[in-house]
Amino acid sequence: MIQTNTLTWSDTWYMAPELALVVATLVLAALDLALPRRTNRDWIGWGALAGLVAAGVFVGWHIHDLRSAAGAGEQTYHSLLGGSYRIDDFGNLLKLIFLGASALLVLASLGTVKREDVPIKGEFYYLFLPAVVGAMVMASSADLITLFLGMELLGITSYILVGVRKRTGVSGEAAFKYVVTGGTASAFILYGMSFLYGLTGSTNLGAIRGALGGAAADSRALIYAAFFLLIVGFALKLALAPFHAWAPDVYQGAPTPVTSFLAVVAKGAVFAMAYRLFLNTAYFQTDDSRLRGDVFLALAVLAAAAMIVGIAGALKQQSAKRLLALSGVANAGVLLVPLALDVTDLHASLFSEFLYYFIAYVFMNVGAFAVLTVILRDAGSDKLSAFAGLYHRAPWTAVAMTALLCSLAGLPITGGFFGKLFILFASVQTKAYWLAAILLATTVVSYYVYFSFIRQMYMRTGDTDGKVAVPVPAGIVIWLSAAATVALGLAPKPVLDWVGGVYSLAVDFVAR
Amino acid sequence: MSMLGSYLTLAAVLFCVGLFGVLTKRNAIIVLLSIELMLNAVNLNLVAFSKYGAQPSLAGQIFSLFSMTVAAAEAAVGIAVLIALYRRKATVNVDEYDELGR
Repeated sequence: MIQTNTLTWSDTWYMAPELALVVATLVLAALDLALPRRTNRDWIGWGALAGLVAAGVFVGWHIHDLRSAAGAGEQTYHSLLGGSYRIDDFGNLLKLIFLGASALLVLASLGTVKREDVPIKGEFYYLFLPAVVGAMVMASSADLITLFLGMELLGITSYILVGVRKRTGVSGEAAFKYVVTGGTASAFILYGMSFLYGLTGSTNLGAIRGALGGAAADSRALIYAAFFLLIVGFALKLALAPFHAWAPDVYQGAPTPVTSFLAVVAKGAVFAMAYRLFLNTAYFQTDDSRLRGDVFLALAVLAAAAMIVGIAGALKQQSAKRLLALSGVANAGVLLVPLALDVTDLHASLFSEFLYYFIAYVFMNVGAFAVLTVILRDAGSDKLSAFAGLYHRAPWTAVAMTALLCSLAGLPITGGFFGKLFILFASVQTKAYWLAAILLATTVVSYYVYFSFIRQMYMRTGDTDGKVAVPVPAGIVIWLSAAATVALGLAPKPVLDWVGGVYSLAVDFVAR
Repeated sequence: MSMLGSYLTLAAVLFCVGLFGVLTKRNAIIVLLSIELMLNAVNLNLVAFSKYGAQPSLAGQIFSLFSMTVAAAEAAVGIAVLIALYRRKATVNVDEYDELGR
């Protein structure tokens, strides 16, 4: 009677991206131990980069396989390990973004990390890999247990990454704050999950949706408790207002590449988990439409609060890292909007909207943090005034930063503009006018925030006139991000069409 | 079925005590302990549901095993971070961890 679901050889091919990263981590860890202390650890960074690229190739291969399966009329997902792990387009697209973003930020950190600052340079590079494995598991799980394990793998490795500058007090302080908020958020999410399990007797997302309808009649209060505990947990993890107080501190204390990792990959992975969890479980069959309405209204209110509080907090910020952290709070609000809108009401394109803005968000943040790495290396301070006269000291970097800032602000011919525009259209289409109004208002206010950078770069003179040295890998990342940001703005349609063609709501979200 | 209510109440009390500890305690060790308390409340919930829930199943006990293991790993990293921080600051009073944001 007992059904066993062991990992078979044919399954290992579907898990090839994750396995490639695990193997790369183990090999790099062993090499780091075996090598003499004097050896330059930079090439461990190149090894980590190679592992990320290899995993990306496997993911691309899977996307291609699923496309040809769709062309032949076969099923477009694979379910592994007793339905707890899914290889589908939703997971694959997000995995590709996580891997690409991590590769870019590892590349940007090569040559900028100093041994005096980070004494454990080898660990610094290869710990990115298990963190990305965690993010990938979060993107493609269909079971509460695997979702939780992915979240904790990502969480625990990023606690260490935040604290790697162990000779400075601020890094340890940031890591401790991150451990406490991360642990509390995990406890809230787990507590919510335990109620979902208790009401349905299963940890599989598809089974939960099937059984929740029956439980809704006599345990309405417990369903409310489950969803609201989950929402609080996710809001803490995503730093949505009013649960965002930790974000500026942690972002400021962490090494800049890690800050960029937290802002992009860690945040994206939690979004992937939230989308998967809510779209699967909250759309159960019920006559009680108020319950679902309340859950999504709570998400919409959190999104609105995050946009307002994030931008308002960024207005007076003098530290560039804290400013970008608060802009990340506002952007998390924007990214939450497609989920908060009602899918049933003419709004089936939520994932394309989310993914398009997320791609734009990844490039503008990775680029902006790479510029910040260069500035920090040159000036030793992340104050806005460190950007003074950048146009005269490193003109090309200043031009690239301008493009990235325009995207962050949501000005035309950048990815950020179209991303916000599509989300705005969606909220008007589903008659969430108040959300659209808040999105517009906060965007206008954000112009002021991002122009404070531009003012410093072009209209102020710095303390020195010397050229800013830009390391080649960081320069490549800055220019790639700026070019991708502008390209997304010039030609948004190919990306949207591609995402729309690859992904389908019914197949990818409804776990079976 | 009647037992379930008692277990859920106890778990809710434990969770609230843990949350109260995280929010109010000054000692960093106690803060980490309080997080463990919240996670243990979840384990109690899972095990109670797997025995007395509407659809009893083993999955809850498996889940609680995973969550215990992960909580141990999280505590290990939390303590390690705290030791590194203590070496710099020579205090476990969280009020004195205020270097950031100045």
